[in-house]
Amino acid sequence: MEIEIRLTEAPIAEKMTPPPGLGTRGAWLEFRGMVRAGENGGEISALEYEAYPEMAEREIRRLLESIAARHPCLAARVIHRTGIIPVGETAIYVGVAGRHRAEAIALLGEFMDRLKQDVPIWKRRALPATKLKRDSPGHSAPDHQQSPEQFPTTPVPTAAGHGRTLHSLDEAIAEIHSRCQPLAAMRVSLEESFGRVLRETVCAPHDLPPLDCSTRDGYAILADDPAETFLVVDTIHAADWKPRQIQPGEAVRVATGAALPRDGLRVVMQENVERKGDQIKIARSDPATNIRLHGEDVKAGQPLVQSGGRLDAGKLALLATAGCAQPLASPRLRIIHFTTGDEIVPPGQTPKPGQIRDSNSILIRSLLQVRSCDVFQTHLSEDFERAKLEIGGWKPEIERADLVLVSGGASVGDTDFTRLLLERLGFATVFSQVNVRPGRPLIFGVNGSRVAFGLPGNPLAHFVCFHFAVTTALARLTGGTAPAFLRGNLAAKLAGHPCPRETLWPTRLEFSEGKINLHPLAWTSSGDVTCFAAANALLRLPANQGSFAAGAEVDFLPTAVMMGA
Amino acid sequence: MRVLFFAQLQNVTGCAATELVVVAPLDRDALWTMLLEKFPGLQAHRGNVRLARNWEYADAGTRFISSDEVALIPPVSGG
Repeated sequence: MEIEIRLTEAPIAEKMTPPPGLGTRGAWLEFRGMVRAGENGGEISALEYEAYPEMAEREIRRLLESIAARHPCLAARVIHRTGIIPVGETAIYVGVAGRHRAEAIALLGEFMDRLKQDVPIWKRRALPATKLKRDSPGHSAPDHQQSPEQFPTTPVPTAAGHGRTLHSLDEAIAEIHSRCQPLAAMRVSLEESFGRVLRETVCAPHDLPPLDCSTRDGYAILADDPAETFLVVDTIHAADWKPRQIQPGEAVRVATGAALPRDGLRVVMQENVERKGDQIKIARSDPATNIRLHGEDVKAGQPLVQSGGRLDAGKLALLATAGCAQPLASPRLRIIHFTTGDEIVPPGQTPKPGQIRDSNSILIRSLLQVRSCDVFQTHLSEDFERAKLEIGGWKPEIERADLVLVSGGASVGDTDFTRLLLERLGFATVFSQVNVRPGRPLIFGVNGSRVAFGLPGNPLAHFVCFHFAVTTALARLTGGTAPAFLRGNLAAKLAGHPCPRETLWPTRLEFSEGKINLHPLAWTSSGDVTCFAAANALLRLPANQGSFAAGAEVDFLPTAVMMGA
Repeated sequence: MRVLFFAQLQNVTGCAATELVVVAPLDRDALWTMLLEKFPGLQAHRGNVRLARNWEYADAGTRFISSDEVALIPPVSGG
């Protein structure tokens, strides 16, 4: 019997194909165990599974072989997912190929029973569904509805290789991409569409321009009329539509933009004729037809604006031209942003020793507003019990938010605080570490279709994490295109210390001599703030490489909003 | 000897793994005695924890030696 066994933290594919050749030789039986919404009587958002992988794989193989001795089968595939698995997703997949269905069904049934007795995999804890409904100020609900014995409520150290992994920058971006799904699109008026992502491809409903029209004030005559003098038989203004015949020797007075009365004409500029009463005489010959032909700009049915583009002034003008008055567009994202940290004071206040002014609030607000998001912001106490009461007051905003951001305080343990806070809001942590400088302790959580980030407290780490992580989520939720890394040249030598992590380095991007030139900004620690005002890009520097020569080609991420993207 | 703890046992021991100094082969009871000295809280779980040696469940005849990887397997709940 062919056996394939996998333990994986990645989602299990929606569709599987039988092992080659086996599906055609009898039965191919598939079973999926999904995470159900209720566990031990409570509503949950996800289950966290833990495995002893080396032993689990051996045990699965041993079980399959021993059961197959009684119910011979051709092949079996077992995939068990570990880590956090949201409700509705597959925790275990088993596929069995047999010559006859009875053997396959018997093997599958017995295997599942034995797996639940012998294979060292555990439901580690249940992550509750958003519990805010049961919370109110003055009342503190238990952290989790399960007994601590069965589902411990606090993260515990896990054996090496069995626990949380450190994500690379690319892995983190891919994970965010896969966990965020585009929100339902809606029809909105053109006036309310600016900055949203168009979610349908809009095609020309008719030729543009719809009719042949004159590009000059002048006289329309038959294109092949050899006459030199003409009788003016009619006048057509810009708004007129007067189809009519024109005979040889006849001319029709037309205004710029006027629809021509029939095909096969040319327009003689008024500057090139002499007019006397109803007669004109061509004074100077000009080969130009002075006509915009119908469909010259775009033919009926051709795509005008592609789905997925951000609606800027030009695109909106084109939609208006095509009569698309209610484009199908992304909703405006509703974002709630909590700042934490007892050491921060409002910008208008003089900080006491040990305190700093809050720059993260306006940073995040501005970055979100330019991306057409609606932002709600508030500050939370660093005392978790008090913070729990405070979030109770923001219940309606939290429940309506598509994305939750928490700016960690600078104090020790802020990531634990943020993580607990996000779990309290029903978000299962997907990752909490990214191997990038600055911004390593970045938390990403999901709760159904909603997502959350815990951003490391200092402002530069905020700036960096926002641009590679939050923008990826914003692009996915709106159905748009996430900003991608581009290639450019360093304008100056960059001498830094080699870092075992990839670095995203604040940079000034300028165009000169037809090239993109990248000027790295002075930066020594993630607490630095002076480079902010000039930065419009982030260099992506590989790990363990300290110095880069002027002119070196490097990857960079633009941070300014490019509307067309 | 490396000993691994899984699931709720980590809450009892406060760690995912520990090292035991073992000079002579141990049977199950002797191993439990050593473990309980270090982590008395495991006593409450002894009745439903199975021992594994080098990724296989141990039985009454199993002997544990210094180079083994041992795991304490509480009731499983996969699938």
